Amino acid sequence: MKSSKDRNRLLRIISLCVAIERKGGNPFEVGVKEALETLRKYLPHWKALEDFALDAKTLNRISSIVSLQGNWIKHRSSTLFVDPLLIELKVKMLEPEKLLQIFRRTWRPVIEMDRLSKKRVLEAIDYWNRLQSLEERLMKLPEPTGVLDFTSIEELIKARIINEESFTALLQKFWLELKEKAAGERRIHYWDFIYAPSYEETVVRAYLTSFLVTYGFATMEIEPLEEETFLVPYMELRELSLKEQMISFPISIDYDIWKEMAEGR
Amino acid sequence: MAEGTGAYVRKVKRAAKIIFYRRHRQPGVKGWELRRALGKEYVKIVDLLNQHLSSIGLQVSTVYEGSERPQNPTSEQIDRARFYMAVKEPLTASDLVMSGWRVDDVAALVVAVSYIISKQGKAARKDIEQILREKFPKWRVERNLNRYIRQGYLNEVDDVLYLDWRARAEIDQRTLIKLVIGGETSPSSDQTATTP
Repeated sequence: MKSSKDRNRLLRIISLCVAIERKGGNPFEVGVKEALETLRKYLPHWKALEDFALDAKTLNRISSIVSLQGNWIKHRSSTLFVDPLLIELKVKMLEPEKLLQIFRRTWRPVIEMDRLSKKRVLEAIDYWNRLQSLEERLMKLPEPTGVLDFTSIEELIKARIINEESFTALLQKFWLELKEKAAGERRIHYWDFIYAPSYEETVVRAYLTSFLVTYGFATMEIEPLEEETFLVPYMELRELSLKEQMISFPISIDYDIWKEMAEGR
Repeated sequence: MAEGTGAYVRKVKRAAKIIFYRRHRQPGVKGWELRRALGKEYVKIVDLLNQHLSSIGLQVSTVYEGSERPQNPTSEQIDRARFYMAVKEPLTASDLVMSGWRVDDVAALVVAVSYIISKQGKAARKDIEQILREKFPKWRVERNLNRYIRQGYLNEVDDVLYLDWRARAEIDQRTLIKLVIGGETSPSSDQTATTP
């Protein structure tokens, strides 16, 4: 009868193999010969089905390690081999600008085009024809349960979220700050601009920023794939055109994001 | 003869459409798809297409399965390889600025990719985060790694990061490693060869 000590020994071998496989460590750290000898020694004593299953699982993991050892030798003899420690040291020493130059010399971006097939256009026309009007669809939405309303400037002053300084003058000051901060790269990351040492200040800055965009002091550039939002200040105030389609873009001023940023600074 | 030339021209045009237009979630097509559309001489057709593309700074890149390009790829390996349309020459600094990449985002990608290459194509996410956090705040490191995963540069399975299709298609791994460790390299030493 084998003890749980022996089973634990096999479990330790499995765990070591899995750790090497997952982390990409040196597979020669696993003593394959000793592990196989252990299996051979224990095999005649196993009686329960679970023990045989454990034995097979251990053998399977050891065989994966042998395969990794083969790949390890192949990689070491290939031109791509370089010591991870050397890479780690090098990348720590290189400035971001130097890394940018390296990337530029090694990057060949893939080019592709999207197209619309006739079939897809017909499907789209069919969808449009069957789609109910927005009015009809909105009628089906449930009534709001709470009383929701916008916060007025007066209420913000009353709540001491903003001071009594003329709101327009405050916006002008804020606009200048945006222009200064975005001067180098033409635009600035939304969160980099609104971030302030306290969460309350960050919310106020986000609130003021929304006015900058709405009133034509700045615009937003949204990169949906990267999920990035940038603020681009206008050099001169732009007249709002009612003919242009305006869109609302909600941004959650999430406390956790602010906290993460605060911890990272 | 003229008829034969016409057939080749038609096939080159068809190859350009097949490779250029997005058909799947990923851009590009597999070799066997080209074989089905263009016939068994598809490698020759792609070669002809490459000659046309060269004049406008583009090329068809071939990415084989596995981390290394085989010395003499077999027809099975070519069938399983993926063919992409890509930029031929290295980008200029202004091209890179126009692409919208921030310098710190590029730096983090280079660090992650070169470290993964040095670890034989996979590395624990926390190890990469640890290296990046020496220079970037935690929130930016996490956001960047998640973005590279979404964009197809990296792939994550059980907290382990691998190079994904985009890194293998777009980044010349050998040149990257040589440049990171400080060795000089010729710009033409592409890991993603133009044709098989």
